[in-house]
Amino acid sequence: MWRKPTEVQPSSQPYASPNPSSTRSEESPKAASFQPQGYSTPAASLGSVPSSAAPNSSNISKISSGLKIQGDVSGSSDLYIDGDVTGKIRLSNARVTVGPNGRVQAEIEARDIVVDGSVQGNLKAGESARFGSSSRVVGSVLSPRIGIEDGARLRGKIETVRAPQASKSPSVESSSESEDLSPVATGIKSE
Amino acid sequence: MNWTAKPRIGSAAGAAAAPSKPGPSPSAPPAANHRVSNGLKEFLWLIGDVPRGRILDLGPVWQSTVSFFVDRGYRLSAEDLLRAWKDFLTAEEEKLRTAAIGGNNDKLSPAVLADKFLENALQYPEKSFHGVLAWDLFDYFDAEAAPRLVDRLSTLVHPGGAVLALFHSRPAERFHRYRIVDAQTVELIPAPTIAVHSRVFQNRELLDLFEQFRSSKSFVGRDQVREALFVK
Repeated sequence: MWRKPTEVQPSSQPYASPNPSSTRSEESPKAASFQPQGYSTPAASLGSVPSSAAPNSSNISKISSGLKIQGDVSGSSDLYIDGDVTGKIRLSNARVTVGPNGRVQAEIEARDIVVDGSVQGNLKAGESARFGSSSRVVGSVLSPRIGIEDGARLRGKIETVRAPQASKSPSVESSSESEDLSPVATGIKSE
Repeated sequence: MNWTAKPRIGSAAGAAAAPSKPGPSPSAPPAANHRVSNGLKEFLWLIGDVPRGRILDLGPVWQSTVSFFVDRGYRLSAEDLLRAWKDFLTAEEEKLRTAAIGGNNDKLSPAVLADKFLENALQYPEKSFHGVLAWDLFDYFDAEAAPRLVDRLSTLVHPGGAVLALFHSRPAERFHRYRIVDAQTVELIPAPTIAVHSRVFQNRELLDLFEQFRSSKSFVGRDQVREALFVK
């Protein structure tokens, strides 16, 4: 039965901001804080997200700015991409970071995915996916935990999945439904 | 209008995941840039029967909005349509400018531009979504583009699904984007203007615009912003 819900009078001051310093701007550079203040971040979102800082470990492979790679990338070491990559990236036990200058046209499957650059392709993360304020993504995102900084531009489906069991392979579990509503899957070109 | 019964979008199996019916709001006053949204409450109530329902957010992607829906089992798709529209128009103007140098400066009509834009925008299978958050984007599309957008949305929305849209009764003082704070609160985010307020819709114009939807309901706040729900 339809029962008229109790109506709450909307706020009369939606435009006023007595404390401008607390007002977030869509593209504010201050939005770098991954866990925004002022509202709670539920469990499915990302509280402790890998930093997007440039790699400093010797166990990280790096595709520097100016390099172009075409083909499939697989392995077990972390990968930092600041160049151009076209193909497919599958690093199920590692982290893939797309730096601010990185431009990727590929599906990415990894344990952790951090994006600060441009990605066109579907992303599957086994543990977490994080999108920095300068990230530009066209594609679907499948991850147990998803973190999005203010200013990130993402076009596609966002879906969380259960984190894989410890005894299982750390690769991403498939979604319960196979249909894909990402614009990439339906043929949309990058903006 | 036929707003006498709550549409049943999905099976009763999803009832456990459905939010409670809209009720009285907490007594705490909203923050200055927060808007208590009856439209959002109704929207959530309408889609509450759908287990793992699909939502399309036509604004920018925000952590809080994503968390709000995915934590409740919904699947969210995001497409910042106004940003895409602006980028599209900028690209078309650049093409025109370049072509003008070569002597061909035929300007595309607004209708052709809108059709061309929709060749790449909102490309999803029919009946993909149980709910669409359109925010106030219709205020920023011209008279040729807005009806085409509604036509496209009507094909994307599952029967019984709902579209939530906001309409300003006067040109907005500044440009805002929107994100969900909780089940009845929307935060207005001041943002750099990416589009000029195009028009103010009258009631009859709204009903005509959404004539393909079977019912509608609206809430007008003291700030004269109308929240409207259209159910397919």
